[in-house]
Amino acid sequence: MVTLKVDPYMAVAISIGAVALLLAITLLLYYMLKSRITRISDVYLSGEPESVVSSISPSIASLYWGFIRRFARSIFNILVTKVHTGSLHDWYKFISSWYGILLLISIVVFTTLMLIGW
Amino acid sequence: MTIDQTMLLILSTIIFPGLFFIISLALFTQYMVRKISARYQNRMGPSYVGAFGVLQPFYDFWKLLRVKETVKTRFSMVKTAELFFLMGLTFSIGALVFLPLSPFRVCSEFDVLIFFYMASVIPFISTVMASMAMPGPYTSIGISRMLSIATIAEPAFFASIIIPVYLTTRGGDVLFMSLSGYVNVPRTWLNPLYVVIMLLCFIAYIVSLQAKVMYQPFNIPEAEQEIIAGFETEFSGPLLALFRLLHDVELAISLLLGVYIFLGGPLPFRHLSIGGVLLLIVKYVVLVIVITLVKNVMGRYRIDQALIQLFKYSLIPAIISSILVSIV
Repeated sequence: MVTLKVDPYMAVAISIGAVALLLAITLLLYYMLKSRITRISDVYLSGEPESVVSSISPSIASLYWGFIRRFARSIFNILVTKVHTGSLHDWYKFISSWYGILLLISIVVFTTLMLIGW
Repeated sequence: MTIDQTMLLILSTIIFPGLFFIISLALFTQYMVRKISARYQNRMGPSYVGAFGVLQPFYDFWKLLRVKETVKTRFSMVKTAELFFLMGLTFSIGALVFLPLSPFRVCSEFDVLIFFYMASVIPFISTVMASMAMPGPYTSIGISRMLSIATIAEPAFFASIIIPVYLTTRGGDVLFMSLSGYVNVPRTWLNPLYVVIMLLCFIAYIVSLQAKVMYQPFNIPEAEQEIIAGFETEFSGPLLALFRLLHDVELAISLLLGVYIFLGGPLPFRHLSIGGVLLLIVKYVVLVIVITLVKNVMGRYRIDQALIQLFKYSLIPAIISSILVSIV
């Protein structure tokens, strides 16, 4: 067994070389062996036509909100009941309260730093 | 590097433990998982092709590759998907030059990080990209679930690998953060300060591996019946063969990694001894039995349950062990 001790850059270079060799071999083998038969069909929608969906992939926003609604339910509830209630006052109250806390923290930090020195 | 070393590197990459060996091991691992699962479910499992049905996974692969048709839609990008799968496959196999099993071994400080990126991160990204190249509503739902699970499983898997490697290489007798640290694994388990950390990492490793390879209870991204086959719904023929092969290769490499960093590889024997080879096989089979046991005794979690359980049983042990390792 041979162990080659090298620096991390060289290790990456050698492993990438091995990957390049493997990619050439696997590409060659795959395209030599693979079946050439293809069939065009509609997207699989459990037997329904494509017209039942507005787009073939859900939008990123839908996936994001779907995830938040199902997994981060508490965050979703806060967003719906406190921030996006439809009233501008509620939104302003929520945002300004958080900005207020951030401002307070920054004042405390800077004052402390000025008192004890940088 | 001399010409002899280059030739040995090429042989290691192509024959052992590279392309041909790891594909054989991956298919044999699939056979073991299917056979053990069948026993749990009171079935026979693969029985007819080869002795005791051992060649069944190979014939399944061969049939998909050579006989079955590729079904595509007007949105499909088959060549892109094929290329991503092949990239995932080759990066995983290329990482084997860092494993102590290889006759020609590349060894450097922090080689575990290179190994992790090549054998864990790139195959995952390749699978996601290949699935996105074959779009469909079920595929999109499967990918979103897969990405949600990866946000917890990947950091936990990473921590569960990095911490044992750090513990076994901090003594200075081997290269720092290198997979050569496997020689110190028995000593690490016997150290009363480290044993709890190793145990927590092992739990995190098993749970996150279960999620990475999408075995029950974390098979919600493919969720048969519910969302057809999730991210793999649009794969067929040779493309499905590639996906299954990549999945099995990823599982085999992750198990081999576990054998070295948690169980010490062939220790107390040497690699080139009968005892060493037998012990390596026994340790590998034990890990396969553990993950198959978990796969068969658990039902499928919903995505929110899966994320919470993953958080509890893989990320929290990983975080606790990270805190403990920074203290000791």
